[in-house]
Amino acid sequence: MGSTLPPTRPELVCPAGTPAALKSAVDAGADCVYVGFRDETNARNFPGLNFNRKELGEGIAYAHDKGAKVLVAINTFPRAGTPELWHQAVADAARLKADAVILADIGLIEHAARVHPELRLHLSVQAAASNPAAIAFYAERFGVKRVVLPRVLTVQEIATINARIAPVETEVFVFGGLCVMAEGRCALSSYVTGQSPNMNGVCSPAGEVRYTETHAGVTSELSGFTINKFAPNEPAGYPTLCKGRFIARDKASYLFEEPTSLNTLNILPDLIKAGVTAFKIEGRQRGRAYVAAVVQAFRAGVDAVMAGRPLPDIDLDRITEGGKQTTGAYEKAWR
Amino acid sequence: MTSLTLGPVLFNWKPEALRDFYFRMADCPDLDTIHLGEVVCSKRTPFVEPIIPEVIERLTQAGKEVVLSSLALIMSDRELAQARDLAAADGVLVEANDISVAALMQGRPFVAGPLLNIYNEGTLASLEAMGAIRTCLPAELAADAVASLAAKAKGEIEVQAFGRLPLAISARCYAARARNLTKDGCQYVCADDRDGMAVETLDEVPFLAVNGTQTMSYHHMSLLGELADLASRGVDRFRLWPHHVAMDAVAGLFRAVLDGKLDADEATDRLADLCPGAEFANGYIYGQPGHQYVEADL
Amino acid sequence: MRPGQVRSAAKPATPPFSPVLLLGLALKPMRPQVLQPIFDAMLRMIRRRHPDILERMADYADRPVCIDPTDLPFVILLDPNPEAPALIVRREIDPEEVAATIHGPLATLIALAEGKVDGDALFFSRRLIIEGDTEVVVALRNAIDGAGIDLVEDMSAQLGPFGKAFRGLAGAAIGLADRMQADFETLRAALIAPAVKDVDAQSARIAALEGELKQLRKAARRGGVA
Repeated sequence: MGSTLPPTRPELVCPAGTPAALKSAVDAGADCVYVGFRDETNARNFPGLNFNRKELGEGIAYAHDKGAKVLVAINTFPRAGTPELWHQAVADAARLKADAVILADIGLIEHAARVHPELRLHLSVQAAASNPAAIAFYAERFGVKRVVLPRVLTVQEIATINARIAPVETEVFVFGGLCVMAEGRCALSSYVTGQSPNMNGVCSPAGEVRYTETHAGVTSELSGFTINKFAPNEPAGYPTLCKGRFIARDKASYLFEEPTSLNTLNILPDLIKAGVTAFKIEGRQRGRAYVAAVVQAFRAGVDAVMAGRPLPDIDLDRITEGGKQTTGAYEKAWR
Repeated sequence: MTSLTLGPVLFNWKPEALRDFYFRMADCPDLDTIHLGEVVCSKRTPFVEPIIPEVIERLTQAGKEVVLSSLALIMSDRELAQARDLAAADGVLVEANDISVAALMQGRPFVAGPLLNIYNEGTLASLEAMGAIRTCLPAELAADAVASLAAKAKGEIEVQAFGRLPLAISARCYAARARNLTKDGCQYVCADDRDGMAVETLDEVPFLAVNGTQTMSYHHMSLLGELADLASRGVDRFRLWPHHVAMDAVAGLFRAVLDGKLDADEATDRLADLCPGAEFANGYIYGQPGHQYVEADL
Repeated sequence: MRPGQVRSAAKPATPPFSPVLLLGLALKPMRPQVLQPIFDAMLRMIRRRHPDILERMADYADRPVCIDPTDLPFVILLDPNPEAPALIVRREIDPEEVAATIHGPLATLIALAEGKVDGDALFFSRRLIIEGDTEVVVALRNAIDGAGIDLVEDMSAQLGPFGKAFRGLAGAAIGLADRMQADFETLRAALIAPAVKDVDAQSARIAALEGELKQLRKAARRGGVA
């Protein structure tokens, strides 16, 4: 079984929402950078973010020049009747020599495998392939080489999956914003705002967000629904639906999840032992300062583990949501 | 002739209550197809399993098409083993709610469930090539997308038309979390809320409901006003999600509207009487936020 | 303001006690138009060196934004219309005129523009306050962050032959501001000290501030401008 093999050095897969962030990530030691086009073909279709074709071509040249790879996320679900935008995105990624595309939709994966057989395919976390049978399906049917695992699995479950699916590679999230629902299987955002990650590439979109300052503090709203209220000096979060404060059983609480960031720096050795091929940092929307800080921290962390040195003690508190951190679903007690 | 499907009971009802419910549904002439099986949480499966054979027998005797629905989120080896057993089931149709189950069918006929991500013709064609003879579409899709898919479908197209909508699935249990418990030590508290636990904003506006690891809409979806139009645009079936109400009477209203025997407005009034306290929504089918209610003008 | 938006009922966050605040007091009697040439130069710089900012804002062409440095007695109106972009300094702006307003201390706004701090983190810590249309603010933040602006470098280049002098001057000013900032932190700590009851916490705080001060001085020295 694969689990008995000595661990290989995992790739660090880093986010870039803009060309400047791509350079920051590469310069900070990213092995791979993942990006998206400036439209609804990717799950970070945020205002003012992402790459046009020219920027992607230049970004890929910059990364390749420094020995880094570029992965293009085309991970929303094409609209019925109009798949052209998504097909064009795959064609352009292939033409611009992207090292792989990250896809979620079965129809689009089938299209890419058929029309661009030379293009390396990764399965997006938005496909939520959470078990060996699902992964085997994508690998055997379409030649998918790597699967980004949904953030619902424990480290033990990840190790089991890796042992069963070799040589298919797995990529797991190691830092950043945390979906508490199985990714790609959540319609909370469209229920409230009309726009969802699957269809529009956005969750809790900024255009639906309002902050109201009063003497009692700040109220954050999403499409008119109050998502949270903060006292005057309490740290305020972005009103992502599943990180809001709600009332259930007559009690107000962070029912789904607190405003918090995933941080696995301290369990990197366990994830490496579990046979994970690539470590992914979330946050294409977070900007250069965030990218540089997090990539440096995880570069140092991975290098330390691989060299048998103790983990570096790096404080990432100031860039985490609400100043809080969690190891999320990787530890079973989270459930 | 448009058919009516009764979806699987998504809530944690006591086994006796569940059996009695299905026995009553067996006698409902307006339902063509009835689903059963645990979709939400594998910890509930041991309680549901013992009654399944007798329910299948009773439903089959009553002339219903029976479908066994799979779990929505399959993570552990134990859950995957259950899925393999389900996929190997003889003489009963299976609904895949995780892509692994569709793959495990190995080309034999199955129903593609509403919790798979089937948003476009390419994916629909792939699923049909894998053996899907019927596809229940995701709740988010608007009427134009539904019509576009129905036009290309080889098999049947089903649309969710009544009940709280399943919106998300998680590894974490929010029924347990609301009581400061973890999923491992959950004490099966999700059974306290027969139709889900209401979730309100801090301004006490209800908008979601929790069913263990599943998050649902607070509002009850109702497409009574849109049935005729959707049927004319190629929808073959409508799915009613079971709630703790007179579901046979609910099915009767949908049947009557489909048959043109009852006006949709009148039916909506009667539906409100059958579901005291329920708020209705239909926004998704109009391309609007799902919680909204749009007066029918499709 | 657009329909559905809620106007702030409270004054935005009190500006931090800082050299910028004193500068603000000094600028108060001055007409803000006097500063307009600086913003004209900045806009020319953006059009020449960072046209991608305007391209990224193309979808928000009809949504002007007010940037409010809370420690200065003027605000800046940013009109992102790519046909006729404008950066106009004013004494104040009627909220009806703009889609959104960003309030924050000048130093924070500059650090944000240069991508030196994480916008989300700033907001989480409430050092930035956003009113109105959040979407256009997020777009602006992303557009600016993506441009890789270095205000000193970019403005020096824009000023051509005077660039070298500007660079030296700006560098010295930033060094000075850094040191003044550090001194002000110490002064501020001393001013608020009597209000702090817990003596242990007080001394820990002062120790931390002194540490910060040392760090800042070191950084200023490394920059060669101390």
